[in-house]
Amino acid sequence: MNMVTTALEVKALRKSYPMWRQEDVIALQDVNFSVDSGEVVGLLGPNGAGKTTAIKCICGLIVPDGGTVTYYEQYGKQNPADHLSAVLEGNRNIYWRLTARENLEFFAGLQGRSGVDREISSTLKRFSLHEKENTPARKLSRGMQQKLALGCALIRGTDLLLLDEPTLGLDVKTSRELRKYILKLVSEKGKTILLSSHDMNVVEDVCERVIIINNGKVLADDRVDNLKDVFNIHIYSFVLKGKYKLNGIKDKYDLSDIKYVNGRTKFKVALKSSDSFYNLINDLQKSGVRLEKIQNLDTHLEEIFMNIIENHDVSGVVKA
Amino acid sequence: MKDLVVFYSVMKKYFIERKRYILNLIMSIGGFLMLFLLVFFGLQSFGAGTETLKGSLVGFSMWIFAAMAYSELSWSLIEEARNGTLEQLYLTPSSFRRISGYLVISSFMFQFILFTVFLGIMLLITGQTLALNPGVVVLIGLTLLSVYGLGYIMGGLSLVFKKVQAGNQILQFMFILFLVLPSFTDHPIIYFTPISWGNVLINRMLIRGISLFDLTVLEFSILFINSAIYLLIGVVIFTYLEKVAKQRGLLGHY
Repeated sequence: MNMVTTALEVKALRKSYPMWRQEDVIALQDVNFSVDSGEVVGLLGPNGAGKTTAIKCICGLIVPDGGTVTYYEQYGKQNPADHLSAVLEGNRNIYWRLTARENLEFFAGLQGRSGVDREISSTLKRFSLHEKENTPARKLSRGMQQKLALGCALIRGTDLLLLDEPTLGLDVKTSRELRKYILKLVSEKGKTILLSSHDMNVVEDVCERVIIINNGKVLADDRVDNLKDVFNIHIYSFVLKGKYKLNGIKDKYDLSDIKYVNGRTKFKVALKSSDSFYNLINDLQKSGVRLEKIQNLDTHLEEIFMNIIENHDVSGVVKA
Repeated sequence: MKDLVVFYSVMKKYFIERKRYILNLIMSIGGFLMLFLLVFFGLQSFGAGTETLKGSLVGFSMWIFAAMAYSELSWSLIEEARNGTLEQLYLTPSSFRRISGYLVISSFMFQFILFTVFLGIMLLITGQTLALNPGVVVLIGLTLLSVYGLGYIMGGLSLVFKKVQAGNQILQFMFILFLVLPSFTDHPIIYFTPISWGNVLINRMLIRGISLFDLTVLEFSILFINSAIYLLIGVVIFTYLEKVAKQRGLLGHY
C-alpha cells in the first residue's frame, strides 16, 4: 500500500506590508492548505491576490507575520532549502554570463551536490538544451532560458518544486512544451509541484487540484473536476441565421466572442443553470432571431475561476 | 564536504564571471595606472624622497585593493537582485551569510592576484623596488577584513534601500583619508579607523623590509582587534538588514 505523505503544510499564514502614511497592505489572511507528495497543485489568483507572497513565505524568502509552514514533517529538519527549489522569476533565475552547463553546475554545487556531470548532461538533453550547453544563457531564446531555469531548479535534487509563473511570456509552442516537461517530472521523477500561473490552460493541463486565492484568502481548494461539478457552469456556443446586434441580451447574459461570419451571428455564453439557458432561448426568440445551432462546450477552468473570484463575499465565502 | 562543494561552486562562478568581463577589468586597471602615474611623477617633480615615493606606491595599491574589495559585496548583491538570482542564493541549505563569506574569500583571492600584477607593473614603470615578503599576505588579509566589514554594512543597506552607489563612492574616497592619515598624525585615532594601522604595518614591511615576526604582539593585536570589530559590526548590521528585507519582502526587488 502506498503511504501518502504531506510534502507541504501551510497553516494560518498571515502577512501584511506596512505602508508609509497609508493603511497596511494585507497580502495573506489566514491561509491554510497542504500538498501531498507526488501531487501537482495550482495556485490561482488575479494580480495582487497574494500568490507570490505565499510562495515566497513557503520558500522562507519573506518572513510571515504569523502561521507556520511545514515541509515533509517526518524528516524533522525544517530548512526550506533542504526540501524545495523554486523558479521564481521565470528566465531571470539564471546567470546570464554563464553557459547553460555552467548554470546547472553552479546550482547543483549550491546544493552541495558534486559528481553530477551525467545528471547535468541528461537534464540538458531532457530540456533539448544539449546543443546549446556551451552557449551563454543571455544568448539563448526566452523559452530556452525558461527551460534552463527549470533545469537549474531540478538539478538541486529536491522533491518539492515551486514554480511561479513558469510559462510567463512564452509562445504557445514553448509553453506547451514546458507543460509536457512538468508532467514528465511528476510521472518519471515523482516530484511534488506547487505552480502559480495566470494561464488557466497551463493550470488545467498540468494540475490535479487548484487553490484559488484572492485578497490574501483561499476561496477554493479542490480538484478541478469537483470545482466544475460544484459550480455547474455550462458553456454554450450559439449560431444565429442573420446579423443581430443582440442589444439587451448581450449584457444580460454576458455574451462573449460575438462574431459575424457569412451572414451568421456567433457567440459564446457561460450559464450556471438550465433555467438561465431556457431564459436565454426565450429572450432570443422574443427578439425575433433565427437559431441555427446550439452546442454544449467543455467547461474550462477559466469560467470557474472567474465565477469564484466574482462571487465571493468579503468574508471569502464563495456562492456557488 | 558539502560546504567545500558550495565554496568551490561560488569561487568557480566568481572567476568565470570575472574572466567574461576581462576587457572591463583591463580598462579599469589602465585607468588606475594612469591616475597613479600622475600622482607618482607629480610627487617626484616636487622632490619627494624615496620613502615617500615608495609609500605612495604601496598606499595607492592598497587604496585600489580596498576600494574594489569594499564594493564587491554590495555590488554583487545589487547585481544579483537586479538579475533575479539573489533569492536563489537564499534558497540553499548553506546560509546566505556563509555564501557571502565564500564570495568574500573568492574576491580576496582574485583581487590579491590583481594587486600583485598592478604593483608589479607600477614597480616596473617607476623603477622602484620593494622588500616583498610572504608575510605581507597576512597583513593585507587582516587589513581588508575591516573593509569587508564595511562592505557587509553597504551590502545590507543595498538589500533594503537598493540604490546605495552614492554612499559607495563617498566611502571609497574616505579610504584615501584613512590611508594617508598616519602620514600626518601619530594620534591614536589611526588605531580605530579602518585600514590606517594596517597600511602603516604593510608600509613598514614592504619599504623597510621588516618581517611579520618583527612586529610586536601589541602592534599585531591592534590590527587584529580593529579588523575583527569592523567585520563583526558589519556582519551584525548585515544580519539585521537582511531580516528587515525579508520582513518587507524586498529580497527579490531592485
